[in-house]
Amino acid sequence: MSDISGIGRRKLLAGAAGLGLAASLPIGRASAADATTINIAYFVETKPTAIAKAKGWFEQEANAKINWIEVGSGAQINAGVVGGGIDIGIGIGSSPSASGISQGIPYKVIGMLDNIGPAEEMTVRAAANIKTPADFKGKKIATPFGSTSHFRLIGFLKTNNLSLSDVTVLDLPPDQIVAAWKRGDIDGAYVWSPAKAEILADGGEVYETYKELDDKGYVIADLIIARNGFAAAHPDAVTGILRAYGKALSYWQTNPDDAAAIVGQATGVSAAVAAANMKEYDFVPQKEQLTAAWLGTPGNPGAFAAELQHTAEFLVGQKSIRRALKLPAYQKGIDTSYLEKAVA
Amino acid sequence: MIAFLNRRPWVVTLASIVLVLAAWAVATYTGAVSDLLLPTPDELWDGAADLVLNGYKGYSLGGHIGLSLMRVGLGFGLGTIIGTLLGLGMGVSSKLDALAAPYIEFLRPLPQLAYLVLLIIWFGIGETPKIVLLFLAALPVSAVAARDGVRNVSPQRVLAARSLGANRWQIFCHVVLPSALGDIFIGARLSIGIVYATLIAAEMIAGASGIGWLILDAGRFLRSDYVIAGILIIAAMGIALDRGLIFAQRRIVHWAGK
Repeated sequence: MSDISGIGRRKLLAGAAGLGLAASLPIGRASAADATTINIAYFVETKPTAIAKAKGWFEQEANAKINWIEVGSGAQINAGVVGGGIDIGIGIGSSPSASGISQGIPYKVIGMLDNIGPAEEMTVRAAANIKTPADFKGKKIATPFGSTSHFRLIGFLKTNNLSLSDVTVLDLPPDQIVAAWKRGDIDGAYVWSPAKAEILADGGEVYETYKELDDKGYVIADLIIARNGFAAAHPDAVTGILRAYGKALSYWQTNPDDAAAIVGQATGVSAAVAAANMKEYDFVPQKEQLTAAWLGTPGNPGAFAAELQHTAEFLVGQKSIRRALKLPAYQKGIDTSYLEKAVA
Repeated sequence: MIAFLNRRPWVVTLASIVLVLAAWAVATYTGAVSDLLLPTPDELWDGAADLVLNGYKGYSLGGHIGLSLMRVGLGFGLGTIIGTLLGLGMGVSSKLDALAAPYIEFLRPLPQLAYLVLLIIWFGIGETPKIVLLFLAALPVSAVAARDGVRNVSPQRVLAARSLGANRWQIFCHVVLPSALGDIFIGARLSIGIVYATLIAAEMIAGASGIGWLILDAGRFLRSDYVIAGILIIAAMGIALDRGLIFAQRRIVHWAGK
């Protein structure tokens, strides 16, 4: 009796899960062999990924249908992978990736998009006359919490012995940073473009922090992650995604004007703005990503794992995650085997 | 058995709570559910204890709760007082009703997130936009409740008072207002519910403080222990606020429903 009802309930649950899955797919299920649909989370940003997306290279190289899911933060990608609704995340920052690996979210870093460098930087109001770290005392600086910019900003305060009582740090998403800036409510912001470009054009100036912070271990980067279950089932598709991005990178280098026009159109800015934004990022070539300075190769982990660990330790100090892991865990969190195949 | 349970509904409540807690413990301790989705009971306990002892990102737990209560109190208090006065006026004067009704009816079904960015542009990023948001959530509900309360006053009572020689002011103070108070309190309870539901949206504005922000910020890092501790706290605060209103209602409108 209890057995029968038990089986019945299990079947019912499985059926309900199946229904939910089917409903989440855009189109009814085709035959099993060619039915690969990849759920890719992405950001609308001025990067060569927009070229590959616009030209359909991801679908081509991965030989799959793609269900594009726009996200606003790496935290959403983490939550999406935990829930199983995201297979690949393009452009997730190093801070959310470090927190994801530390928390055991079942995904691996499979490649880099870019080394952020000066593309995310402190912008201060020129009229506020901020020239030295001490000038930040009593000022209000906004940043989106949990982002790579937030990580850098706190790193800047820490390395200059400024505390959170010296400087008021406010949690604002990029669009609201622009609004608060226009009203004169904030003296500065640590953020990326287009918000950064907008406030720079409106009485802002760059206060350079990235070189010093990169030297002190506050490197930030944008990454590509793949959910373990998906990568195990579709390794060729994962390689294909990386190959498509590699194609877009070289297209940008060989046809910069055309590339800027495509990226501009995809993100709703002018080609000139898109080109200017892209120049600020260091789009590390995929072959270089496989060197010891960055991700390394399978069996020979690169230096970037240590950056992830450092980021995780910082996040523990911020009470954002419970614990950081030892270095090998972050080395295991990076799987360069797909990238190796993609550049071969 | 059924008769026994019918007489003691709390036994069913207790059994239901024990069952849910047991299912939670089994699901998390056996590892069937990852601690990213749901913390184990002792992780939740540790998380909650950590919040109580060490606070969260710049404020003590009491500080977060206090700031949230201050925002709810000011937004709800101002919104309800002004909304009620406006509603009473609208109930008495059809001209005022015609004047104000379009705005009230526009504001009432509007999702607060729709105008969040506008509030930041207009009022900045301090406490003002947060309180204005909560004020705008409370205002239309209490205005409509007070207006309907006035309209529901039985005409016989008004006529009776008038035939006894009461003037308009006396009728309002001694007949209309006491009769409408029941509806006004129902409106207040509705409005505190809406204000409270809007609190998280309000604390999305340039946060770093408040219990709603705490839940949002912890959620960003999938800190399910802090999130659930925060939810338990915010739920307890909500129940306390509602009970407080019911208490006030019983003291002030003790005749309602009799």
